[in-house]
Amino acid sequence: MSAAKERAPTVIAIAGGGKVFVESAHTVPLVHITISFRSGAFHDPPARDGTARMMLRLLRRGADGLGAQEIERTIDTLGAELSVEASASTVTLGGSVIRRNLEPFIALIRRIVGKPTFSTDELERLRRESTAELLEARDNDRHLASVAFRRAVFGEHPFGRGSSGRITSIQKITEEDIRAAYAKHFRQGNVVFGFAGDIDEAGARKHAEEIASALPTGAGPEGHIAEPTPLTGRALVFIDKPERTQTQILIGGLGTHPKDPDHVALAAATAVFGGTFTSRLMREVRSKRGWSYGASARIAIERARHAFQIWTFPAQEDAAACVELELGLLETFVNDGITERETSFIKRYLTRSHAFDVDTAQKRLHQALDVELLDLPADYHTAYLAHVAAVTRDSANAAVKARFTAENLVIAVVGTDSQIRAAVEAKIARLAGTKVIKFDEL
Amino acid sequence: MPKTPRAQDTVDQVNATKKSALAGWSLEETLSFGGAPLFVLRLGNGLRVLLLPDDSAKVVSYFTWFRVGSRHEKPGKTGLAHLFEHLMFNETEGLKAGEFDRKLEENGAESNAATWLDWTYYYEALPSDRFGLAVTLESERMARLVLCEPQIASEKEVVANERRYRVEDDVEGAANELLYKHAFQKHAYHWPTIGWMDDIKNFTPEDCAAFYKTYYAPNNATLVVVGDVKLKDALVKIRDAYGALPAAALPVEDTTPEPFQLEERRIEVKKPTASEKVILGYRGPALGDNDHPTLVVLSEILFGGRASRLYEKLVIEKELVTDLRGWASTFRDPGLFEMFFYARGEHTCEEILTALEPEIARLHVDVVSDEELTRAKARLELGLLSTLDTASGKAEQMGFYDTVLGDPVGAFGRLAAYRRVSAGDIRTAARRYLHAAQRTMVIVRRDGAPSATAESAEAAQ
Repeated sequence: MSAAKERAPTVIAIAGGGKVFVESAHTVPLVHITISFRSGAFHDPPARDGTARMMLRLLRRGADGLGAQEIERTIDTLGAELSVEASASTVTLGGSVIRRNLEPFIALIRRIVGKPTFSTDELERLRRESTAELLEARDNDRHLASVAFRRAVFGEHPFGRGSSGRITSIQKITEEDIRAAYAKHFRQGNVVFGFAGDIDEAGARKHAEEIASALPTGAGPEGHIAEPTPLTGRALVFIDKPERTQTQILIGGLGTHPKDPDHVALAAATAVFGGTFTSRLMREVRSKRGWSYGASARIAIERARHAFQIWTFPAQEDAAACVELELGLLETFVNDGITERETSFIKRYLTRSHAFDVDTAQKRLHQALDVELLDLPADYHTAYLAHVAAVTRDSANAAVKARFTAENLVIAVVGTDSQIRAAVEAKIARLAGTKVIKFDEL
Repeated sequence: MPKTPRAQDTVDQVNATKKSALAGWSLEETLSFGGAPLFVLRLGNGLRVLLLPDDSAKVVSYFTWFRVGSRHEKPGKTGLAHLFEHLMFNETEGLKAGEFDRKLEENGAESNAATWLDWTYYYEALPSDRFGLAVTLESERMARLVLCEPQIASEKEVVANERRYRVEDDVEGAANELLYKHAFQKHAYHWPTIGWMDDIKNFTPEDCAAFYKTYYAPNNATLVVVGDVKLKDALVKIRDAYGALPAAALPVEDTTPEPFQLEERRIEVKKPTASEKVILGYRGPALGDNDHPTLVVLSEILFGGRASRLYEKLVIEKELVTDLRGWASTFRDPGLFEMFFYARGEHTCEEILTALEPEIARLHVDVVSDEELTRAKARLELGLLSTLDTASGKAEQMGFYDTVLGDPVGAFGRLAAYRRVSAGDIRTAARRYLHAAQRTMVIVRRDGAPSATAESAEAAQ
């Protein structure tokens, strides 16, 4: 096994405006392929949330004379896998294949992305399937908390919509919407390819060109995701579900934009607060009190400012006290920031653990794709260590003060209303209002 | 496919390792792990070490596998192996509470642990120049753990919360617990690894100390090291840290085999869930049984991907379920061939079973097609290759097969076994294992209020 080269992936421009990123590693006979487009669910038509994702899911259900089952059987026979993902900013197909079957897998992908059928029967089948999946998701309390939190923080902003859509919006999507979404996103000038693993640059270029040539020419849609509106006051969103022994709690608000000058300093401070096993949250909530199996804080990264959120899941009887504790910890964090010792600690952690950000070809590739697709600063990953080295206690604390607040927050709780809501409300000082939602109406 | 390592390569590496570094070690064998030499060594106190130098990244993965799991517990003390896994991150004689994790994190390490029916493991993934830290910390907690209050009380609360998360408030977790509770009535696989809630709350420091003394010893452990390390350096560090730890007198295994099951067992529960669920557990073979690879291939044919038989029948053709999964459990003793079905909307478990039975019966009569066999084997090959991308992926494969089967390169042997499976083998296995009398069934009904219809969701939108 040979030593990996630690360098940025190779970038190749191809005819039609597409780009190809290649990160070779010949340790395992597998090739990973990513085909992304620089536009996403943000462009879904009004009241038709979920359109881009449904379009993606329909790709493998009929193309160029192949039926859905023929496509699925071919994928499996080749020792391959294929998945799709829609976010606000991008739509992506991702696949892996055993090296010896790369060529036929590329040929299949070319047919799937170049000549999708989008049949009425398959659209109706997928609509029924998606509806059932959205209903089934109600069994997952963490999912319920996430949906409620996202909608409360972002409202009508594109980040509040979610790429899976709602049961109501899924019913409204037409065949024309699907074809329009395909025409909008799947353009030669809008595509970014990524290849990682047992493949060289020449091979990657050749296969990217084969696939790109099957796409319609032209550029992707224009569009800028606006900054979300800041929150005002503390709002409790209580998702009422019967027979809970445990709650799911998400607390947070707006967070960071990757182009903020204080972005890395904020990320470092957030890691002190809730990003490691010895973070303040873990120590206070789990280690000292045993209230929650996990306790963490994170900032999400997108093309516009996204969310900051704290996650815990205490027993129902501990929920109110846990919310009070978290709000107190957040207040201290915002007012007093982190200490010199914590700053040194987190810088060592972030610097030394960087080895695991780049230990596989796939990870190195995806760092480069993130920069390209999320419009991150060009040196976001390549100069990561220098950015971390530049963080000081003062810069971290100034970032926390500038970006976070303990006053303008959403507190989303999944629990049994009759048992704990009043107690939770009583522990939230300066609570501006409560919205109670039945879990099967979310 | 594993290749035989060039004999000269192995000889060269061992010769390059000075005699002083090899002192105290016995090199039991060198094996091929996907073409790379894997050294299998043992210290005088019984500690087994698997070492695979791999310079594909500047990292090292360090696993410690203990041959103890929930099967070694007794009724009334269930969940002790898992609670103990939590306690291992607390105080030691040389480290105050919290220091273990802090030291790892400030050196950029990832760490975690897992407990299952047959085993427990702990792992660190570190930048390769921090390898020595893992050796120091793991050897410290293998022998010098401090077990006292209030850490034990706090950790019991954490585990109780983990149980609420994974079982009490999780429909599938709760149903799975019921499946094993009823499928196994004599064998220790009867109780869940996380333990019954009452047992978790009642553990004492004395229980924990006795468990530690009994099972946490070098002769009950295997270290697995994969990454950018030098053989000589690794052997010296490990020997110096662990060499003086005493071996323990390990208790003789006291397991009661599960009697033959002669009739179907059905359990029905109500949960606040969007739709009905049915879980089946057919009596299955142990991981080391010759039939096991055959059942894994059969499971792929039935459940593997969207071209599988049951996906086509139940999801696409009949639209009866939203999700389905199946697998043969990978335990040291005979386990279950598990099947999960999530009903779609208002469909019932009875409808699912009515559609499933002819598919099971068909397996008893007809042979599967060559095309189905090819697809299943290709998917299994992809699955194995996907685990070999990282040092930790390789170390986990190695440690798992070594701990359960005593074969560190068992993953590759399995792949060869999958390739040998024929259509006839599949039919024979189906005839042997897939009988209603040999299965346990858990049916989850909806508990009143929640509706699985789209209409109920409209109000709030």
